[in-house]
Amino acid sequence: MDRAFRALIERTFGDDLTGPVRQRHDETEMRIRPGDVPQVMRTLHDDPRLRFEYLGDLAGVDTGTDFQVVYHLWSVVTPDWLRVVADGIPRDQPRIPSITFLWKGAEWMEREAYDMFGLVFEGNRDLRRIYLPDEFVSFPLRKDFHLPDDASRSPGGGVRPMEDAATPADAAETTVRRTAKAR
Amino acid sequence: MTTPTRPSLDDPSLTIPVEHAGIFEPIPLARTERQREFYDLRDGEMLLNMGPQHPSTHGVLRVVLKISGEQVVDLDPVLGYLHRGVEKIAENSDFHHIISQLDPLEYVASLFCEWSPVMSFEKLLDVQVPRRAEYIRVLTGELNRIASHMLFLGWYALDLGGITPILWSFAERDEIVEMLAAITGAKLLFNYFRIGGVNGDLNHEFMSRLGDWMSRAGAQLEAGMGLLNENEIFVRRARGLGVLDRETALRMCATGPNLRASGVPFDIRRAHPYSVYPELEFEIPTRREGDSLARYLLRMDEVRQSLRIIDQCLHQMPDGPVMARLPRLLRPRPGRAYSAVEGPRGQYSCYAISDGTDQPFRLRIHDPSFLHLQLVGLLMPGNLIADTMAIMASLDPVMGGVDK
Amino acid sequence: MEVGERQHPEQVPAPSDQPGSAPAALAVAHDSDVAQPIIVPNTLWTSVNPQAYSGGLPAQITHLRQEELSGDKTDNGRWQALDIIPTKADYIIDLIRLNSLWPLLSGLACCAIEMMSTATSRHDIDRWGMFPFRASPRQADVLIVAGTLTTKMAEPLVRLWAEMPEPKWCVAMGDCTCSGGRYKRSYSTVQGIDRVLPVDVYVPGCPPRPEGLIYGMMKLQQLVKERRGHWPERAIGPTVPDQV
Repeated sequence: MDRAFRALIERTFGDDLTGPVRQRHDETEMRIRPGDVPQVMRTLHDDPRLRFEYLGDLAGVDTGTDFQVVYHLWSVVTPDWLRVVADGIPRDQPRIPSITFLWKGAEWMEREAYDMFGLVFEGNRDLRRIYLPDEFVSFPLRKDFHLPDDASRSPGGGVRPMEDAATPADAAETTVRRTAKAR
Repeated sequence: MTTPTRPSLDDPSLTIPVEHAGIFEPIPLARTERQREFYDLRDGEMLLNMGPQHPSTHGVLRVVLKISGEQVVDLDPVLGYLHRGVEKIAENSDFHHIISQLDPLEYVASLFCEWSPVMSFEKLLDVQVPRRAEYIRVLTGELNRIASHMLFLGWYALDLGGITPILWSFAERDEIVEMLAAITGAKLLFNYFRIGGVNGDLNHEFMSRLGDWMSRAGAQLEAGMGLLNENEIFVRRARGLGVLDRETALRMCATGPNLRASGVPFDIRRAHPYSVYPELEFEIPTRREGDSLARYLLRMDEVRQSLRIIDQCLHQMPDGPVMARLPRLLRPRPGRAYSAVEGPRGQYSCYAISDGTDQPFRLRIHDPSFLHLQLVGLLMPGNLIADTMAIMASLDPVMGGVDK
Repeated sequence: MEVGERQHPEQVPAPSDQPGSAPAALAVAHDSDVAQPIIVPNTLWTSVNPQAYSGGLPAQITHLRQEELSGDKTDNGRWQALDIIPTKADYIIDLIRLNSLWPLLSGLACCAIEMMSTATSRHDIDRWGMFPFRASPRQADVLIVAGTLTTKMAEPLVRLWAEMPEPKWCVAMGDCTCSGGRYKRSYSTVQGIDRVLPVDVYVPGCPPRPEGLIYGMMKLQQLVKERRGHWPERAIGPTVPDQV
């Protein structure tokens, strides 16, 4: 937890931040708008006081109401990981600028976020599905995509739980006691 | 009266419209800029599909090569043949259950696949891990690193055509893994780390096997490495192949040995220390050339450093519990945690978001091999087809982690 | 037995490797005797598209039947007359086959590491003649599916199976191939390869120890020896699509 670093971030990005800079354990988190991602990233990369040349991770998150893209960066300047959260990407128009102009390696990470969430990274030269077949229509990591036996959360759940799939549909209702009755 | 025409291959009724062609369509519908650039074949160029099943042992990776004669002009890797949906399953599992589910990601180094999420969960829960457990984690982790690097040696040689090194390295790996099976109970998917520690303490069988192995490990590993170091065919094939320079390595987010072989001395164990690594004395091998030979030699240097770490762990291991006491039903406070470990292939990290329930809200695993496969497309052009596998093997990808 | 008619439970023949099943019916094959696949009509699930999966009905004539019924008695490798009576020649041919079952290098995931461990020095599978893991399906006998099969990989794997020349056998190694294993809930894995391939031996485990895989291969050798792997008499499970 580097307090001086937090002050540095707040000074450098004052009005781009959409929330307070939070620190916990060895991570510092800053929140920005999705449209500001290119210039914030460029400042983080090029500024000699910051020097965030190492991109650790690029993740998409579905908060249930909207999407977020989370970047994790490392620099020689501070012992903390910097987490940049681009928050508030609307569900009906999930677009965010790409950072492949800075880190070419982010291309596949953005493809993965597109594949799993449907987030469109504008400026990515190769935005197509990477894990799933091209004919797959839905985006699995979204919160409204449910796994088959997610009976409690799925709209059609509880109708035919997976454990019953082995019994034919026209089997008679049995009343077999599965536990020994206490005498 | 028209004479009936002979059937012709240009007959439009014989062609399948490209939109209906299956996944093995020769020229797929180019949807993106990069695809259009790739599938735009010039004179003398040809597409060669190195399908999901191929003699290399890295797993199911499909690579479409654009070749001009024997030289590869461009290549397009197609992933996803092992995508198992682990992140989605993780969102529907308990914190405790997930650890065993995340093992098969980087299956040759599965302790690291467990270490990083476990560290994230410990940060979410503010759990202090006992020191003995940390030492055991480092000890078993370094053993796993050695096993993984020996497998790399075997596979690299096998992809270049040598069959003996893989037999030797599997013999090494089997010894190490039998040792780990004595404490973890499994040979490949260990399921050993728990939130707050490890599953069980070291036992007599493990210590006796470890002592026996350590007494001959140095000489045995050097013999295995010497088989390749001094082999002219190997050295001449690997030297100068797939040179990755420092700037490109950083821009492509390469990590681990691939980054260090290009001159960047970045090792998470020293750059962002975790566990008890600050108390251990070891060096970070770095090389400048950035070619395949440098990557191979670097991994062998890392094996020697790992032996040093294991030695120190054995001498410095404190007594105490091996697991923190935690309730069975874990409900961390809502929050986010990120932690990264240095796996044998690079930075293996986990970003966990908790929403206060007993299942994580989001579990994002970042695997190093995923990004290293992007490097193949950069390093390949100009080389021969046979060198595709050589470069890929020198980057050491494991498809389980790549495809999640 | 008509298509669509559910078989009475007593008439369903027991699986061939259970004691008490009728081995005689398989050992003595007549020219016109082609094993009837057990067809269990699908009442659990209906497809949205009634034309899918060939409308739920199996194809009337398979390529095997075509050969048998058309009366083509030319040598197609099946030793027409010798099929009727198991001879010493068959016995020796089966011994030859079982002692040199060449697997196809089809390791998909973690079980592939244990398969490689079985093939290398410590648990040497070369003792049973299985060392050459052929890269090309045209040269392989056994398809050991080691690792999770995903829906994207299912098509290439069935293509590999189709490209393998007969006689061929399939071994499902690992929990993921037996039943879907730890990925039972996943949206992109095939829940057990017996949905797409006819499996001869299932080797459970996650991953199975090399000794376990060796046991499975020895069981396969036993199957080959007792002519239960003999091609015209194979009984293929109900979930496998036709022509496979």
